Amino acid sequence: MRRISGYCTSILIILLSVSWEASGQTEPPDTVEIPLKIKIGAEVTGPVIYFIDRNNLNVEGFISADLNERYGVFIGGGFSDYKYSQYNYEYLSRGFFIKAGIDINFLRPEKSMGKYWAGAGLRYGLSSFNSEVPFFEYDNYWGSVTSSIPSSAYFGHYLEASPGFRAEMFRNFTMGWSVNIRRLIYSGAGKDLRPIYLPGFGSGSEKVSFGISYFFLWNIPYKKISVIVKKDEPAESEETAIQ
Amino acid sequence: MTGLKKNNIAAIIIAILLIIVSCTPEACFEETVAKVKVPFYLSSTQKAKAPDNLTIYGLNTGTDKIYADSKSVSPAELPLDPSTDNCSFVLVINGVSDTIVVAYDSYPHLISIECGYTYYHTTGVLSYTKNIIDTIIVKNTLVTTGNEENFRILY
Repeated sequence: MRRISGYCTSILIILLSVSWEASGQTEPPDTVEIPLKIKIGAEVTGPVIYFIDRNNLNVEGFISADLNERYGVFIGGGFSDYKYSQYNYEYLSRGFFIKAGIDINFLRPEKSMGKYWAGAGLRYGLSSFNSEVPFFEYDNYWGSVTSSIPSSAYFGHYLEASPGFRAEMFRNFTMGWSVNIRRLIYSGAGKDLRPIYLPGFGSGSEKVSFGISYFFLWNIPYKKISVIVKKDEPAESEETAIQ
Repeated sequence: MTGLKKNNIAAIIIAILLIIVSCTPEACFEETVAKVKVPFYLSSTQKAKAPDNLTIYGLNTGTDKIYADSKSVSPAELPLDPSTDNCSFVLVINGVSDTIVVAYDSYPHLISIECGYTYYHTTGVLSYTKNIIDTIIVKNTLVTTGNEENFRILY
């Protein structure tokens, strides 16, 4: 329930931001010049969380390139080292992930100006990792059994949708965040030993996982394009209708 | 567009708080022990009928009983020992004793992140005495934490 309310809050912030940005604009020009950029980015919440919780390290970076004012291609990857323990078991997962896809900017060119981005990323992710249960305890009528599951290599894959925002804070330096909704296609393991954590995906015991990413991007402009601004059709007046 | 910049700062704080909250595991509310589910049927009518009085305990387990003079128990649920490959149970049905021996394989199974791991079993050879038990029909060899019927005892 806490998770759902958290993500609802994020979606609300997204909607508020769009309406905020849409208001108070002056008459747009006929064309705008948009710089297309190659962006090199790093996700920062993973390292920040690692300082709070030393059991979970997640580092992620990516490169994306604008194809035009609306679409961009994305390729990213990262490393994850996850540990979890509770009274009756301990779990370790360590591995890499890569993901690739497209970014779609929903902002109009005259609003984005190549500096702002409000849209969504659609990605396909692959996760290669080792999973191990060094200890688990099982109790029933016959007594207590302590056992372990040795390390095994797995290869899972998933789909991700990442609506979010980016804004250029300084020249060629952008910050942004996204809400990540992921759908597991295959965990890499059978139904009995589903991995508790898949690098890049999150909790493997669920088919759908959610997350929030916050990232810094360094932009390298490589081309400028002129984009025609589509103006809204004025409402037909009574006089026009008579003619 | 300064709004986006301001939102970025707010989003940092919200993102960190949400991630910390979302990573907190919840309590385990699921069944954690896989048991052999054994409903009782009268062999004369072939209809389901719980014994008037039922006691079940594992052979050589001392005084610890799974059911002790219990009434209206059906299905009975029999846990298996994952540290060995067979279990023997003494069933006292309406005052008459029988012994059943179940052979099985065990393998670990993840229940959930909250509950951890359990053992599931695949049953093999089943043998039993026939003092009050007429027949035992194997319905499903896979023993899980679900509700599937495994053996049907006709008495």
